[in-house]
Amino acid sequence: MHITFVKKIKADGNPCRKCAEVEARLEASGAMARIDRVVLADERDPDSEGMKLAAEFGVDAAPFFIVNADSGRTIYTSYVKLLKEVLLTPVSEDEEAKDIVAHNDNLDFL
Amino acid sequence: MGFSAADITELATARDPASLIQLALERFDHVAISFSGAEDVVLIDMATRLGRDVEVFTLDTGRLHPETYRFVDKVRDRYGIRIEVLSPEAAAVEKLVRDKGLFSFYQDGHAECCGIRKVMPLKRKLATLDAWITGQRKDQSPSTRAAIPMIQEDLTFSTPSHRLVKLNPLANWSSADVWGYIRVHDVPYNELHTKGFVSIGCEPCTRPVLPNQHEREGRWWWEEATIKECGLHPTTTKAKP
Repeated sequence: MHITFVKKIKADGNPCRKCAEVEARLEASGAMARIDRVVLADERDPDSEGMKLAAEFGVDAAPFFIVNADSGRTIYTSYVKLLKEVLLTPVSEDEEAKDIVAHNDNLDFL
Repeated sequence: MGFSAADITELATARDPASLIQLALERFDHVAISFSGAEDVVLIDMATRLGRDVEVFTLDTGRLHPETYRFVDKVRDRYGIRIEVLSPEAAAVEKLVRDKGLFSFYQDGHAECCGIRKVMPLKRKLATLDAWITGQRKDQSPSTRAAIPMIQEDLTFSTPSHRLVKLNPLANWSSADVWGYIRVHDVPYNELHTKGFVSIGCEPCTRPVLPNQHEREGRWWWEEATIKECGLHPTTTKAKP
């Protein structure tokens, strides 16, 4: 299995807020060691590899993950899903709930 | 009995709201209306007119407007129904507030707070149901709800061992349809609507909108910058010099 982490770099050279947050969580949990490659989607360079991958896979927000396995390639836009389904790492109930909100815009009716 | 996948496909666009609610109450053993304290009160009005017992729940985040709390009780009295008020887990809220204060959503976005105050209690409730009925409409958000069907498998809250169906009887109604129903049937409504609020949520995260502003502009308005910041649309990129 090969996991690629695509993170966005803003015009000021810093990662976007969500990318920084996810990277910190990956580091804190030790899961960063299981990421094989980090690719940048650089706002200053539309031809950067990360920007091209986002366009290729139809992803419209950072960060995202590309998982290549024997069974094929899967794109994960949810960090929590990656933890649960790929890295088989326990996820807390509040972290899972936060992820549900973040990836379900239509829950704002609640 | 519930709905099969074929039922869901067949009924996705075919029913008027009241008929769909009636069918759901007949077919599901455990079905409930999710009431947000806003215009989705019309679902309760429709269900009670059918003369059947109906289960209703609402999520009390602890941050709702006083007007909304009063409205929930007004609906309870008006229809003579029990409304189950679901509260967030105290320990989770206390930890969030201890770590980040009472208004962390203005810096970190609303997902964490909504996750604790809404989604966690909602998940617990939905685990007891076969189906839930919501007031979602396509016109509430052209960008995120344009494809909402009348009935759908709830892929967010179903689990491998628990299949959940979500019913959106008002999916094809417009705001004008809803308010027409409210007026014709003398349905009570949240007094916040008379103060310019269209979409109603928690007090710190909801504001009135101006004429011709879309209702979504009244919710989490400060997050536009974050959405742009993390966006990977070509329009968010700068052309090379």
